[in-house]
Amino acid sequence: MDMGLLGQFIVNGMMLGMMYALVAVGFTLFFGVLDVIKFSHGDVLMVGTFAGFSTYLGLGAIGIDNAFVQLIGVLVVAIGSMAILGAIIARYLVLPLKSAPPLNTLLVTLMLGTVLREAIRLFYPDGSNPKRFPSLLPTDSWTIGSFNLRADSVILLVGGLLVIVGVHVLINRTRLGMAIRAVAQDEETAKCMGINFKMIVLLTFGLGSAVAAFAGVMNGLYYNEINFGMGLLLGVIGFSAAIIGGLGNIYGAILGGFIFAALQTLGAVALPFASAYKDVFAFAVVIALIAWRPTGLIAEKTSERV
Amino acid sequence: MGILRKTTAPLLTLAITAALGTGVANAKDTVKVAFIGPLTGGVSAVGVGGRNSAELAVQLRNADPNAKYEYELVTQDSECKPNVGVQIATKIAADRSIIGLVGHYCSAVAMGAVDIYHRFNLPMSVWGAVLPEITYANDYKEIHRVNGTMINQNEVAAKFMTDQGYKTWVIIHDTTDYGKGHNKYFSEYLTANGGEILADFGVPADQQDFTAELTKAKQLNPDVIYFGGLTPLGVRIRAQMDKLGIESQFQGVSGIKSDSFIDGTGELAEGVVSFLEGAPLEKLPGGQYFSEKYKAAGFTESEEAYGPFAFSAMNLILDGIEEVGPNRKALTEYLGNIQDHDSVVGKISFDDHGQNTVAAITPYVIQDGKWVVWEDSEYADGTRKLSGL
Amino acid sequence: MTQSLKDKLIILLLAALGAAFLVTFIAIEEQAEIFALLVFAGVLIIASAKLGLTDKISQSLSRNERLLNLSVIAAMLVVIFWFHEDHFPLLMIATVLLYVVACCGLNMQFGYTGVVNFAGAAFFGVGCYTAAVLGGTGTPLLLVIALGGVMAAIIGSILIIPVLRTRGHYAAVVTIAFGLLFRTFLEVNDTLGGPQGLPVSGMNLFGWDFNSNIQITENIEFSFYMNYVILALIMVILTFILMRRIERSWIGLNFDAVRLDETAAACYGINIKRWKILSFTLGNFLAGTAGALFAMMLGFIAPSNFAFSDSLILVSIVLLGGMGSIWGTILAAGLVVLLPEKLQVIQEYRFLLYAVVMILILLFRPQGVLPRNLRSYIPGWRG
Repeated sequence: MDMGLLGQFIVNGMMLGMMYALVAVGFTLFFGVLDVIKFSHGDVLMVGTFAGFSTYLGLGAIGIDNAFVQLIGVLVVAIGSMAILGAIIARYLVLPLKSAPPLNTLLVTLMLGTVLREAIRLFYPDGSNPKRFPSLLPTDSWTIGSFNLRADSVILLVGGLLVIVGVHVLINRTRLGMAIRAVAQDEETAKCMGINFKMIVLLTFGLGSAVAAFAGVMNGLYYNEINFGMGLLLGVIGFSAAIIGGLGNIYGAILGGFIFAALQTLGAVALPFASAYKDVFAFAVVIALIAWRPTGLIAEKTSERV
Repeated sequence: MGILRKTTAPLLTLAITAALGTGVANAKDTVKVAFIGPLTGGVSAVGVGGRNSAELAVQLRNADPNAKYEYELVTQDSECKPNVGVQIATKIAADRSIIGLVGHYCSAVAMGAVDIYHRFNLPMSVWGAVLPEITYANDYKEIHRVNGTMINQNEVAAKFMTDQGYKTWVIIHDTTDYGKGHNKYFSEYLTANGGEILADFGVPADQQDFTAELTKAKQLNPDVIYFGGLTPLGVRIRAQMDKLGIESQFQGVSGIKSDSFIDGTGELAEGVVSFLEGAPLEKLPGGQYFSEKYKAAGFTESEEAYGPFAFSAMNLILDGIEEVGPNRKALTEYLGNIQDHDSVVGKISFDDHGQNTVAAITPYVIQDGKWVVWEDSEYADGTRKLSGL
Repeated sequence: MTQSLKDKLIILLLAALGAAFLVTFIAIEEQAEIFALLVFAGVLIIASAKLGLTDKISQSLSRNERLLNLSVIAAMLVVIFWFHEDHFPLLMIATVLLYVVACCGLNMQFGYTGVVNFAGAAFFGVGCYTAAVLGGTGTPLLLVIALGGVMAAIIGSILIIPVLRTRGHYAAVVTIAFGLLFRTFLEVNDTLGGPQGLPVSGMNLFGWDFNSNIQITENIEFSFYMNYVILALIMVILTFILMRRIERSWIGLNFDAVRLDETAAACYGINIKRWKILSFTLGNFLAGTAGALFAMMLGFIAPSNFAFSDSLILVSIVLLGGMGSIWGTILAAGLVVLLPEKLQVIQEYRFLLYAVVMILILLFRPQGVLPRNLRSYIPGWRG
């Protein structure tokens, strides 16, 4: 295979991997603090993207057509509103079920995902149809042989990387991060140390959902199309990525995200059968990986409490 | 007093409607007819246009004092998904009060549903689905079609594109019967016209990311990328071609000839070509009449490419019921004998398989955000050029 | 009047009332009337609960299970024969019955052993596709139904290792991933029809063609769906018996022990793997048999029948009825399938409504509408 083509596939794969990693980070954060799975995560991402899209339309309507201002507006609204939505979900759906069986939390958030998805489909104007998401980034491109690199792809990749680094710094280098890690390690002790448990949970859910909103806008800018169903698959992929990486571990989530993207790209390019089988291949490998390492590649170091 | 008014008002309306209702019932019996099309989802614009057109036919008939019956239109949404389509087809066919049906834009749905219409003896006419097998792969006398098939469309498309000077193609098609049909017939006629197919990719109808397929296509550097499928996928592929810097000409089929394709692709739509059976509306015999009535009825959505066909199909069914009465078997027989029947899309004649013969195929190109008939476009007179020429 | 006679009368009355309600509910078309009927039923149930009647009735019921079961079957038959020539109502009834069978399968997994399965629609789909593939080959069609179940069980066995090795969230992701994988596979695989789907030939039993109307006399013609409804009813009865037998046997005790506390059960020497495998396989088998008959009845299947949201609907039915409760599953399947068909207003909003109702149930009544009772050592014992 010629190098240009290989480079093209690698850039495509990196792009997917970045989006998956961003979604997976959310799953892993929630699991870290509360040992729950918030399955509506993918749909929160979708709602965030629609919020951003509406902002773009709104800014256009009041006559602001500078792409940079629009981009900032889209990001601020999408991220801000989803942070709030994430906290609301935690407050009214996840925390009340804290002592219920974990299956119930999983189900309640699965159902919430359906509610969000259907609500956009039914109540967003013309919501059942795909929407054209604007290109707000410069579209200059560099071509080397068969390799084509666009400025917007580079910006998206760098943006995604910055967000991941930002989350990492926040978790490992700040007082808030320390509190989140404390709650993740031992809720009771953290409370004794004067940490406001509920507040930390809400902030963590806000943080994870904000990252998802960023991933959603990134997805919209990359594909230039958004639809009400986009969150479902992204959510499942993000979840699988977090699981193969090992729940509760941010590096695991990032690793898992890139592994999944690599599997998809590999499935599309290198395998003998049609490229349409790439998702079948990726999910089959995920199931096999889970069977092999039931708690993920970077496993939680806990023994079971009885 | 307030309470009294509240209770009397509905009572009064009830009395009035009852009186009116019986009055109408005395004059005319109500007969139900049905319409099926994709009213939600990626191709809903075409579906809604068809629904409006069928509704227009019913409205005009009900306004006609000479009509023997009062018609009621039942509409159902197939969502362009075969399983949903089969469910609602069963629902409509199982309802004995429905006498005739105008149905299907999506070929994949129609293929699943024709067996059901036959099982329940429901006479129907297709208004937009173009797969030949819908009428030709069975001997069901209930199934008819007023629009043409994709065979002629691809014959003309292959000849047209090779005449422009294009040599090499990459084909991307969805893997429903619809996309596969386009692939089959286009490949056949393209090879006959001397074009070369470098590769073909079958993709599921809800795929999001085409970078893998398109990167492979890019390496082959074809003159044209032919896409056999419907609008939503077409939009994604066109947009991602640009992402990867592919300069090839984009050629679509009748499935992307809708305004939503232009809305979805924006500036990238410029110069995209597509083919549609039937002459353009303004050149049709009754096109003027149909356009005027459609506007007068106050529909907010466009009638889209297949509106006139839906209108004609519904009129045909209504004509039949007027003639032979509200009876499924009699209507089937009536439709079987249709020859040179006047309609806004020209004379309708059904062959043994219930297929209308529509000879004319019109090439279209997108120019300045509008579908323009090729002959009238700046591309035809050389002012603008298609990609790669 | 003696107590036992009173019990019997109550049951017969209830069954008659139920049949009458169902017939009216299915027969009426006017939206306002349907709504009024539902409100009426709701008020009746709430009132009787307030008056303490429900407790008395449920005691009468538990004392006379055999009579209860028989009279429910009789009531069902009355409903079916009432609509003997109407295609659509019969199709709806058959759909409900087959959903009951599939959801009983899920119930065996979720409700009995606590094995999660979010790929219910996929196993249902395996049955459908088995029927589609074998339909034209001349295999006896009753065998096809059984084979549909067997295929589902075999395909399910691929998942046994990951499901056994994982728990909770991890097991959930295995089944969710499998559900997506299954659907994507069908969509890209040409030999099984691809996204286009496959036609399925109808049921034919010893030369009896299920897809033609049954001519009884000159004037009486039964809809061909009648065949399917009767067969589905038989399947429900068999499933019901199976579920009850398992629940009340030592197998059921083992199942419950595994669900309630795996670690403790293992300490007492219960082979957790064996019981999980048994319930997972049996559950998938039931879903597969239901799928096979469903495909033959519908005559056409496509991959989008078996999406993740369909799996969620199956889980919703189990949850709404109450984990492990068979009567609950029957009631919930009826509600979930019939309500949107009858109330056109909610048809469009059905997924939204289901999801909202599920959230409310999980928050406020996690045990479901008809919760499974604790095992009673002596049935009908008042204590």
